[in-house]
Amino acid sequence: MQSTLANRTAEKTSLADWWKANRGLLGLLILLIAFPFLLALSEGQSIGDVLANEAGNAKFMQGLLIEVFILAIYALSYDLILGVTGLLSFGHAMFFAAGAYFTGIAFKNLGWGAGQTLLGLVVVAVVQALLFGVVLPRVKGITFALVTLGLASVFHIVVQSTEMSEWTGADVGLQGVIAPEWLNTNTARFQLYLLTLLATFLVYLIYRRFVDSPTGRVCIAIRENEGRALMLGYNTFLFKLVALVVASLTAVLAGFFHTIHQPIVSPNVASLGWTVSALLIILIGGVGTLSGALVGAAVFRLLEFFLDRWFGNAANFLLGAVYVTIVLFLPYGIVGTWRLRSLDMAKGRARLMKLLGLGKKETGD
Amino acid sequence: MPNEIILETQNLRREFGALVAVDNVSLKVKAGSLHSIIGPNGAGKTTFFNLLSGNIPPTAGRVLLRGKDITSLPLHKTAHLGIGRSFQITNIFPTLTVLENIRLAAQALGKDSFRLFRSYRAFPKYETRAWEVMEQVGLVNEALLPARTLPHGAQRKLELGMILAPDPEILLLDEPTAGMASEQVPELMALIQRIQEAGHKTVMLVEHNMNVVMSVSDTITVMHHGAVLAEGSPAEISANEMVQTAYLGHLYEDTAVTP
Ligand SMILES: Nc1ncnc2c1ncn2[C@@H]1O[C@H](COP(=O)(O)OP(=O)(O)OP(=O)(O)O)[C@@H](O)[C@H]1O
Ligand SMILES: [Mg+2]
Repeated sequence: MQSTLANRTAEKTSLADWWKANRGLLGLLILLIAFPFLLALSEGQSIGDVLANEAGNAKFMQGLLIEVFILAIYALSYDLILGVTGLLSFGHAMFFAAGAYFTGIAFKNLGWGAGQTLLGLVVVAVVQALLFGVVLPRVKGITFALVTLGLASVFHIVVQSTEMSEWTGADVGLQGVIAPEWLNTNTARFQLYLLTLLATFLVYLIYRRFVDSPTGRVCIAIRENEGRALMLGYNTFLFKLVALVVASLTAVLAGFFHTIHQPIVSPNVASLGWTVSALLIILIGGVGTLSGALVGAAVFRLLEFFLDRWFGNAANFLLGAVYVTIVLFLPYGIVGTWRLRSLDMAKGRARLMKLLGLGKKETGD
Repeated sequence: MPNEIILETQNLRREFGALVAVDNVSLKVKAGSLHSIIGPNGAGKTTFFNLLSGNIPPTAGRVLLRGKDITSLPLHKTAHLGIGRSFQITNIFPTLTVLENIRLAAQALGKDSFRLFRSYRAFPKYETRAWEVMEQVGLVNEALLPARTLPHGAQRKLELGMILAPDPEILLLDEPTAGMASEQVPELMALIQRIQEAGHKTVMLVEHNMNVVMSVSDTITVMHHGAVLAEGSPAEISANEMVQTAYLGHLYEDTAVTP
């Protein structure tokens, strides 16, 4: 019996399995690295033009994709606390905005370099996660959502206040930030593109490992049934705190890139609306799936951009209609719904019927 | 010491508003015994278990584990003291697989839960333990199914498996067979008895099936309106006239005791 038990346990992933599971991801990475060059070539520019950051559609599209990558990192951080751990925070925008404002102030007012700024961001991230964490043992569910909304609202009011205008630009926003030359979005667009692309993939891979780690598994258990996790002996408060710290570290990184890429940091990134953007992105992509945050960010930003380009003023209305359609017809999001179906095929007929019975509407079978 | 008292309550009391759900219960549980709590619906059995496991705080009184006061310990500490608690209403991680439910139960008392960036596969001992437990309770074939898709009887086995995984010294089982098909009951009770005897474990059992209670228990405590009505061996309880007339007689007519 021992040997069969050992065999069952020892289904460790081999290199071949790893390749099989990740070839899509690698393909996407290569495609995205090649994309600016392909676009440039198709428009009569040369590869050298991309490397030299020459103006053109290729440079413009890189800018748009950098926005997608920043949104993806931000949405991943929200998926970790909401989708994986089951913590409903309405104050997530603050995690991002604190990173964005701190980066701007560090570059502009303090004259810090990128390394020093990133170290400072680690401190900012941990402090704000602990601030959110302090209330964790006392409030649950919707109360936690409201308390975090309150914390973020205070932050939103502070950055908008005229007393702070020297630092934050008050309600106009933070302007005139000069990023270090090697990641300046005007003069080093392709470098920033690569950096944000790699950062997105790295964060995604780290997150995937996290949800597969002993700690991440407990976070999932907390989402499923916190009372049971406590009874099993897990101090759930500490696990939720870990999730908040990891999410906060990730969100400030997204804020860091945002400040570098955008000419202005608007106080909107500290508002409830910015939290709702993260929520929408993971709803579109699939809550708790991680890759849904990537897909959702792409759909969210590209849809907004192209609808605006094609339909102008009607875009907002269309955007709303598309979101409602997605939420109605794909209640598990794009990735969630797709996974449910592929899972069915893998796990034999009996389960197929059960899951289809549950998910008839989404799979259409 | 065969007669060592492992768990003790002193005047344990819990009020819900005007209702006294547990009324100054003082009770001693011998190490290695199977100690049943019986009583009609609403007698306060589940509430009493909730006080023992720390799910709710008592209004008054104390809980002692080997003489040490554990009354106001936080909930997550109970498991670390070697107390496992199963629930009358199935309490599992619904979308996770059976394997993962039990693996998480096994991992809970280990020292690897704060490993953030290594795969759980790097710690196979918990998974191995989960497979052992699934063999024990008979869930190997369901291992990879999401827990919520299991039939009720299998979910009750899972509930028991999650208690067994960390190998606790004391098992508090609140109606482990509740809602199970009657032909599955003897099998599960035999399993509980085997585990108790082989591992010299202390089991506290709440159970409505009197035949089961009478055949497996070393000691029986009868609760009524939150208070202890009687306590003794199965023979003493079935001979106790007060229990017979006031309680067993009406309430368990269909499963009447034949001593
Ligand atoms: N959280 C609560 N709030 C208010 N009253 C409660 C609460 N929990 C239990 N009670 C009441 O306390 C009394 C004892 O309930 P308890 O669940 O302990 O009984 P029980 O002996 O386990 O019954 P059963 O055999 O039906 O499981 C009941 O009258 C119940 O309604
Ligand atoms: Mg009960």
